[in-house]
Amino acid sequence: MVRTEEMLLNVGPQHPSTHGVFRLVVKVDGEIIKEATPVIGYLHRGTEKLAEDLQYTQIIPYTDRMDYLSAMTNNYVLCHAVETLMGLEVPEKAEYLRVMAMELGRIASHLVWFGTYLLDIGATSPFLYAFREREAIINLLNELSGARLTFNYMRIGGVKWDAPEGWVDKVREFIPYMRNELEGYHDLVTGNEIFVNRVKNVGTYTKEDAIQYSLSGANLRCTGVKFDLRKEEPYSIYDRFDFDVPTEEAGDAFARYKVRMAEIEESLKILEQAVEQFPEDGKILGKVPRVIRPPEGETYVRIESPRGEIGCYIASDGQKEPYRLKFRRPSFYNLQILPKLLKGENMANLVTILGGVDIVLGEVDG
Amino acid sequence: MKGLAKGLKYTLKNMTQEKVTYDYPEEPLPLPDRFRGIQKFYPEKCIVCNQCVNICPTDCITLTGKKHPDPERKGRIIETYNINFEICILCDLCTEVCPTEAIVMTNNFELAEYSRDEFFKDLQWLDENDTNIRKEN
Amino acid sequence: MTAEENGKTPNEQTDAGNPDQAEELKADEAKQDHSQKPESVSGKAETEAKSEKDAKKSDKPAAESQSERNKTAESSTSATADDQSRKETAREKADQAGTKKTRRPKKKAEKEEAREELEPSPKEPLLKKYVSIIEEHLGEDALEDSFINRASKDLPTLIAHPGFYFSIAKLLKTHEELQFNYLSELHGTDFKEYMEVYVHLYSFSQKENMALKVKLDREQPEIDSLTPLWEGANWPECEAYDLLGIKFTNHPDLKRIFLGEDWEGYPLRKDYEPYDVEV
Repeated sequence: MVRTEEMLLNVGPQHPSTHGVFRLVVKVDGEIIKEATPVIGYLHRGTEKLAEDLQYTQIIPYTDRMDYLSAMTNNYVLCHAVETLMGLEVPEKAEYLRVMAMELGRIASHLVWFGTYLLDIGATSPFLYAFREREAIINLLNELSGARLTFNYMRIGGVKWDAPEGWVDKVREFIPYMRNELEGYHDLVTGNEIFVNRVKNVGTYTKEDAIQYSLSGANLRCTGVKFDLRKEEPYSIYDRFDFDVPTEEAGDAFARYKVRMAEIEESLKILEQAVEQFPEDGKILGKVPRVIRPPEGETYVRIESPRGEIGCYIASDGQKEPYRLKFRRPSFYNLQILPKLLKGENMANLVTILGGVDIVLGEVDG
Repeated sequence: MKGLAKGLKYTLKNMTQEKVTYDYPEEPLPLPDRFRGIQKFYPEKCIVCNQCVNICPTDCITLTGKKHPDPERKGRIIETYNINFEICILCDLCTEVCPTEAIVMTNNFELAEYSRDEFFKDLQWLDENDTNIRKEN
Repeated sequence: MTAEENGKTPNEQTDAGNPDQAEELKADEAKQDHSQKPESVSGKAETEAKSEKDAKKSDKPAAESQSERNKTAESSTSATADDQSRKETAREKADQAGTKKTRRPKKKAEKEEAREELEPSPKEPLLKKYVSIIEEHLGEDALEDSFINRASKDLPTLIAHPGFYFSIAKLLKTHEELQFNYLSELHGTDFKEYMEVYVHLYSFSQKENMALKVKLDREQPEIDSLTPLWEGANWPECEAYDLLGIKFTNHPDLKRIFLGEDWEGYPLRKDYEPYDVEV
C-alpha cells in the first residue's frame, strides 16, 4: 500500500505564475492540497501613509503604481473622490478623454491577463498575440500621456493633455482591428479542447460565496450576479453609452475567462461610441483652485476597475493633504477566497485557480 | 479536435503577417513627442520660485538661488539645481508647474549607469542634456 | 512625522519668501486654465484651513465636525455654539493675517450652506427607515448618531454604539427590508481623539449603499469582528489591526498581514514615529 506524508510547500514569493511577490504556503498530501495560506505584504509600500504627507496632485503618480496594469482607473478613482468632495465640475471633453483612456486600459489589462493566464496553464502562443495587441494600446496611451504604464494623466478637475492630433482617429482604427483579433483569440483558445478541459469546473464557487467574500468584477459576475458599477451607479459619463454587463452562471475558471473576454468586447463598444461622440472643442481642465483644499468632511467613491470594485475614501480636515486616504483595492478583497478554493484541489489546479482570480500584487499590498 | 484545428489556422494565418517586434538596441525606439524622459534645465530661464521643489512627490529636486548680480534688476537667479535620479519617478509634475518652462522633459530614457553616484544630476548635466527636447510642455 | 516636517520647512519658507512673484507668474500662464479665484466651496474652507494650520492643526477631528455640519443642515437649526466660536476665531485669525484671503467673499459660503438647508437629501426617508428599524429591534441606545453624508454622494451614515456594533451589522445584513449583504469596504482611521472603523455596505436587493461607523477608545481600540457575518471582512480587519492596532475580537485569524508580527508600532496612527527617521 502506498503511504503519503503531508508536506509543506512554498509557492513563491518569487514564482513566475504568481505574477509578483506573492507567497503561498501549501500543505499537500500527495497531489492534494490540504491547506493553503497566502502570505502577502512583500510589496507593501505604505501608499496610504505616504499620501498623508502629500498634496492631492502629488498622490496621483503614486496611484499609478498600485494597479500598474490599469493605472488609468486608479488615477480616476482618486480624482473622482476629490471632485466629489469638493463638488467640482469636470468638462465634457475631459470626461471623454478619461473614459477612452480607462477603457483602453481595461482592454490592455484584460489582454495581459489573457496572455499570462494561458501561459500559466501551458499555452505559449496566445501570450505573444495578446502582447502584440496590448502594445498597440500602450502606444496609444503613450502618445496621449507620455508614459507607457505610469501615466499620471488625470488631474483633479480634468486631464493633463488634450488628445494629440490624429489620436482619436487612431483609436477609431484600433477598434475593428481589435475586434478581428478577438475573434482570432476565440478560434485559438476558447474552442480548444485542452484548454476547456483544464479550466472547466475548476475553482467553482457559488453566487452566495462570491457575495460573502466581497468579490467584485469578473470574479463576481462569473456566478451570475449582474453587477457593474458603470451600469449600477454610473459615474463620469458612462450613462451615455449603450453596453452590456456580461455574466456567466457557472462560477468556474472558464466562466471567468468568458466574462473577461466578453468585457473586452463591451469596452470596444464603449470606445466606439466615445469616439463618435468625442467633442473636438472644449476645455480639458475645469475651474479648479490653484491649491486644492477640499472642505472638511469625508467621502467614499467606488468605480469599476478591470479587477473589480476600486474605491477611495478620503477624510479631509481642510488641508492640502488628506487627513486619511484609503483605497479599497479589489485584488486584496478578491484574493481572500483563495484558501477556500484551493482546499481539496489537485496541486496542478493551483495555478489555474490563482491565475483565474486575476490579481496584481501592487494592488494587493497597497 | 475541431478546436485545435481552428487554433492552428489562426497560428498559420499569423505567420504571414508583418513583424511587430523592434530591433531595439540596433535601431532607436520610435517614441511619441510627449514621452517623459530625463529633464532638460535652462538656468537662464529659472526664477527660483521653488514650485518644482514643492510639487515633487518624491522630494528629489534640491535647488539654491542667489541675488541677481546686476543690482539694477530684481529677482533671483539659480545657483545650484540637482535632481536625484535614484528616486525621481518621471511624473512630469515639475515641468507642469514651472511658470517659465525652465525645466522641460526630453525623450532621453536610457539612464542606466554603473554607479549610483551617476544618478545625481546637477545643473551642468541637466543643462547639457539638450537632445530630443519635448515640444509640448 | 517630525522628520518629514523638518524636511519640508525650508522649501515652504523659500516659497513664502516670494509668493507674490510666483503667483503672478502663474496667473499669467495661459496654458493652465485654472481661474485664480476658486468659485466653489473653497472660499470658506481655505480661510479656515489656513488659520487652523496656524493653530497647529486643530484637534477637532474631521469626521466629527462633518457630522455636526450635516446635522445642522438637516435639522435646519443654526450652527452649534462650539462650531460658531470656532468659525469666529478662524475669521479673527484671518483678519489678523491681513492677507488677501480676507477679501474673499465670506457670504458666499454661508449662502451655500443655507441652500443646503433648503433641499432635503433624497436619501432622507431611507435613513429614517434604517434608524427606525434599528431602534425598533435594538432599542434607542444602539445608535449614537445618524446623518446623510452629502460629500459622499448622499450616503446614509450610521454611527453605532460600540456595544451594539455587531448586532446592528447583523440586523443590517439579515433584516429582509434591508439586506445589506455585500461588504464593500472596511477600514479604520485614527482621529486623534478616537479610533473609527468605517464599513461600507451595499444591498443587492435594494441597490442602496450605506456606511456604518463606530467610534472606539483610542488607547484600547477593540471591537467585535464582522468576519462571522461577512467573510470578506477578514483581511480588511487584519489590515486595520496591522496598521492601526485595532483589535477585532472573535476574528478567526487576526495577524499583521502586511508588516509582519515583529513590526513595532502602528504606522497609520497619527503619533507613529518611524524607527529610521531618514526613511
